[in-house]
Amino acid sequence: MKLVIDESRCKGCNLCVLVCPYGIFGEGTELNSRGIVSPVLDRPERCTNCRLQALYGRMLCGVCHMICPDQAIAWVEEKPFEPHRVEVEF
Amino acid sequence: MIAPGWFREDRLPHIYCTGCGNGTVINCTLGAVEEMGWKRNETIFVSGIGCSSRAPGYILTDSLHTTHGRALAFATGVKMAQPDLNVVVFTGDGDLAAIGGNHFIHACRRNVDMTVICMNNHIYGMTGGQGSPTTPPGAISTTTPYGASEPAFDLAELAVAAGANYVARWTSYHVKELTKAVAAGMQTPGLAFIEVRTQCPTNYGRHNKLRRVSDMIEHLRSHAMLVDKYNRLTAEGKPVPDGTFTVGELVRRNRPAMGVKR
Repeated sequence: MKLVIDESRCKGCNLCVLVCPYGIFGEGTELNSRGIVSPVLDRPERCTNCRLQALYGRMLCGVCHMICPDQAIAWVEEKPFEPHRVEVEF
Repeated sequence: MIAPGWFREDRLPHIYCTGCGNGTVINCTLGAVEEMGWKRNETIFVSGIGCSSRAPGYILTDSLHTTHGRALAFATGVKMAQPDLNVVVFTGDGDLAAIGGNHFIHACRRNVDMTVICMNNHIYGMTGGQGSPTTPPGAISTTTPYGASEPAFDLAELAVAAGANYVARWTSYHVKELTKAVAAGMQTPGLAFIEVRTQCPTNYGRHNKLRRVSDMIEHLRSHAMLVDKYNRLTAEGKPVPDGTFTVGELVRRNRPAMGVKR
């Protein structure tokens, strides 16, 4: 699983920064295309829900997900890493 | 996103200001609804007027957006006509305590089987920050520029006195506890009243030196005291810090209720 912030919904209140026990969210610095400073993720693979949700089959922790007033935080299924060819033009 | 099938995703993002706690309360309510396993065509959300009452507009069920303060009167009508429906009422403090005060105490007295969730942000947020009956003493609002001089209304204690079957109070910081309390209220027959203290950084915090969302949340968190601890302190005669409010399950009892599912 992968932690994502939906930039089209986030209003930049930084409540997730306050509640995350792992300190994954940090206050952002750059404006996005909607003129909002949304939080940045610091090594989101540390999130307990990312690592163990599939193993336990239920939501673990999930406090950021519950407290986000804009419903902007979600976990998406991640495909296994597929090596792909990168073509470089000279 | 919590309870993905229950949101009107085309209406999101909602109109609430940055950091408003009402979105959190919607999350917790829908989490509890999903826990209960209610169906969408058997659930109805009723609301009055105000910031909090915009909430049913973002939920994909039938809903009633009613006149100011009369959400409980409409909800009583819904429950009497169709007792098999699950009725949830979203109201704010101005809606429930000020203009709908009598509807509230009589709905508690009749013990109509529904869940009332009051998002208490201590202010009339939508109309520009006028003082409401729950504005704490000393707080500054646009109608109390020298600080509110009146004592504030304690809605949860009012519901206990008026006879609701389940009464709890939490803040929008305590998301897990709030979800459990809403689910417990939905399971209890009779009126379940859950008061949620939410932050309003735009219209309350801005005037009261709590402009940042984190300051406002920290203020709520540090002034909340579990009801057991409060009872212990008062029994021992120890002083309770100024401005604290009790959180937790205040009452759960079994008075005869109206409109319970057959």
